[in-house]
Amino acid sequence: MKKNYLLAKWLNDELSDKELADFQASPDFEKYQKIKDYSTHLEVGELDETAMLTDILQHPKTIPKVIPLYKKWMVRVAAILILALGITLAMDHFIPEKQVAENAKTTSFTLPDHSEVVLNSGSEIEFKKWKWKTNRRIELQGEAYFKVAKGRRFEVKTNLGKIAVLGTQFNVRARKNRLDVSCYEGRVKVNYQNKQIILTHGQSVTFENGQQTNSTTNASKPEWIDHQMVFNKENLQNLLDEIQRQYDINIELNSKDTNALFTGKLPTQNLEVALQIISTTYNLKVKKVTTNKIIFEEK
Amino acid sequence: MQNPSKSNTCDELIFSSFFKNHIKALRNFLYYKFGSKEQSEDLAQEAFIKLWQNCASVPLEKAKSYIYTIANNSSLNEIAHQKVVLQYEKNFSGIDKTNENPEYLLEEKQFQNKLLKAIESLNEKQRIAFLMHRIDGKKYSEIAEILDISVKAVEKRIHLALLCLRKQIDL
Repeated sequence: MKKNYLLAKWLNDELSDKELADFQASPDFEKYQKIKDYSTHLEVGELDETAMLTDILQHPKTIPKVIPLYKKWMVRVAAILILALGITLAMDHFIPEKQVAENAKTTSFTLPDHSEVVLNSGSEIEFKKWKWKTNRRIELQGEAYFKVAKGRRFEVKTNLGKIAVLGTQFNVRARKNRLDVSCYEGRVKVNYQNKQIILTHGQSVTFENGQQTNSTTNASKPEWIDHQMVFNKENLQNLLDEIQRQYDINIELNSKDTNALFTGKLPTQNLEVALQIISTTYNLKVKKVTTNKIIFEEK
Repeated sequence: MQNPSKSNTCDELIFSSFFKNHIKALRNFLYYKFGSKEQSEDLAQEAFIKLWQNCASVPLEKAKSYIYTIANNSSLNEIAHQKVVLQYEKNFSGIDKTNENPEYLLEEKQFQNKLLKAIESLNEKQRIAFLMHRIDGKKYSEIAEILDISVKAVEKRIHLALLCLRKQIDL
């Protein structure tokens, strides 16, 4: 027999007449025919179909689990919300928190350990909530008053120096080249360049361009908290800078003879009075260009 | 969304008639593979139980391939093969019933036994294809579908089966 599986074709009655005639002529045909005939009468054996069917039908049908679309949706939405919440919380902890007091404003807030901070105008503070209790560190630009809760070392970093305390009340002012630290309660350690000074209750220190000046104060808290600016041997330019911050105005100084240092108090909520005090002290004339542009001129 | 109650496979009458049409062939198919009547009946029953349980998700058009797929898969973890022992239909004695010549009858008997032995000695693939055609009257295309091979491959298996059988009988 050739390829093309003629035997299979024959068994399935697919041969053409000619092929069939050829095959019938071959000597093996009779045997194949016998195989074909007999094999149709073969069987595997009895099968009790009815009993089997009864048994099968007794099995309970499974009801397909249908999860409604909205449920899948809700699970997804919930997962996203939880994730977002987690990220927000983590950010809150790990990313430094910033507090800012704009010009002409003060900001007060509480640190995680209930230490209080009041930021003076034009100042900002950065700190990390993460592990705050064991790592009380603050970065300060400008001026702020601290009422530190008792606990571990509390550190204020400024670009001029570092102030470390245990639990106390103190004020730090770091403006331009001048660093003022006043201690109102407890003990404060001030690091400035290579110097280290410990201030106790009622003591203040000022560093300006490497120069150290000690002073004392009777106040129980910084004057600016009560809307007063207190200056101790301050030069006029620094004085004016502070006024600009407190009142959020622009001041120009057209005078050469202004080397005298100022010691005294100025109000932070009455510009007219403040300007008058300065003009009398330095013998200058106040010229208001606009509401927030002021020029001091020689008389 | 497909309504489970609308899948006609779940209808008891439809399922029953489907069962009657296919149970024997499925059982036989499993028997050709394994050679154990008990196991082939169990496996065939299991396949139908699964179909019944999952009737809601199997439409009638897919039911046949569903039961054969289950049967094919289940065979993988079954035990060693036993001999496939067939028998002739009860009322079958020979092709030519009129001839009662004892010599002829003896030859008949001999041939029938030889054929059984020859089928036993076929290899699994050839036997399954050959018997599905002869006993269950399945078309080559049906066999091809169940075994997941081409019609040509089925023809080849049948062809080789016939060659083998003839040789065996000649021995």
